[in-house]
Amino acid sequence: MRVLTVPATAYDDVPYTRGGAVDRADVGALVQSAVDGDAAAWKALVEGLSPLVWSVVRAHRLSDADAHEVYQTVWFRFAQNLGRIREPQKAGAWLASTARHESLKVLKSLRRMTPTDDPQLLDRVSEDRTPEQSVIDSEEAAAESERIRRLWQEFEELGERCRQLLRVLMASPPPSYQEVSAALGIAVGSIGPLRQRCLRRLRARLDARGAL
Amino acid sequence: MNAKHEDDFDGREDVHHDDEFDGGLLEEELRGAAAVLDPVPAELRRIAVDAYALHDLDARLAELTFDSLVDAIPVRGVTDAPRMLTFRSGELTVDVEVTAQGLMGQVLPPQPARIEVLGGPQPAAPDTLTADAMGRFAGHVAPSGPFALRLRTGGEVVVTEWLRA
Repeated sequence: MRVLTVPATAYDDVPYTRGGAVDRADVGALVQSAVDGDAAAWKALVEGLSPLVWSVVRAHRLSDADAHEVYQTVWFRFAQNLGRIREPQKAGAWLASTARHESLKVLKSLRRMTPTDDPQLLDRVSEDRTPEQSVIDSEEAAAESERIRRLWQEFEELGERCRQLLRVLMASPPPSYQEVSAALGIAVGSIGPLRQRCLRRLRARLDARGAL
Repeated sequence: MNAKHEDDFDGREDVHHDDEFDGGLLEEELRGAAAVLDPVPAELRRIAVDAYALHDLDARLAELTFDSLVDAIPVRGVTDAPRMLTFRSGELTVDVEVTAQGLMGQVLPPQPARIEVLGGPQPAAPDTLTADAMGRFAGHVAPSGPFALRLRTGGEVVVTEWLRA
């Protein structure tokens, strides 16, 4: 029998500061401060956990309109439930799980109303130019821009479950495995191996195209 | 959709090669790409910050206990079935039906109530409905997007869980 080991990159017990926004260890304290009326704490929660919520919604391939509505619903409900969340330090997992359930509801209602809906129509990158995009528009950065575009293209063409997992992992700061588990309904213990597998697949695709 | 065959997640044959490949760098590149190509829209961030106003410790929360989208078996061929929702807070139940024509429902046990239809943190003037003595209410505007109902009844304020219509 094989023993599965979680790779050293599993960060459940390590406070994560790589993305710099919210140290996961502080989430519980921020929730408590927000309950007590501290609007700045709420803002810090939004800044730190918005990318996670957005990543979960996008991982489910919702249209822009649906994605916007689900994202809002999740935050409205979080505000409403602030003082009732049993484990404030797991607010990230709470948000991820709520985003997942609301996303699945949307997919269910779409299937009921428009059975012929073409999922590929939902599968486009927003064409709005972001500030960061404008910055890299300079000529020297054109190559970098092309590189990112290729990376994204290969990512989009991964199998559905790899694409979902990687889209959630892309949240910044990186989500904990507990949050990924809540976002996708998969066991914490399987995330490490799956992550390696999916990243290796992506690497192979990129190598095959001679990209990066 | 050319890659469905890659969905087999159960195979674990390559777990043991983990040492040879550091996915961390690639993951970090993906994170950078997402920040450029698919970031959280700025207006959504603002709405989430404003949502703090929805934090209301004085109101009782009525939890969603039935949602036809999840709990009902669809009838074959019926594609425009109304969305049926039930919220509950203690003894109080609110049944809601959302159709393209609007919203109707009943407060139980039967009692009059003033009902505001909320659409976000700062609705300029929320639609207000009135439940009659039987607890019945109806409105001709169907909520679109996230919504919640704020009921004032017998000196109490009850808010339903936020939901996407």
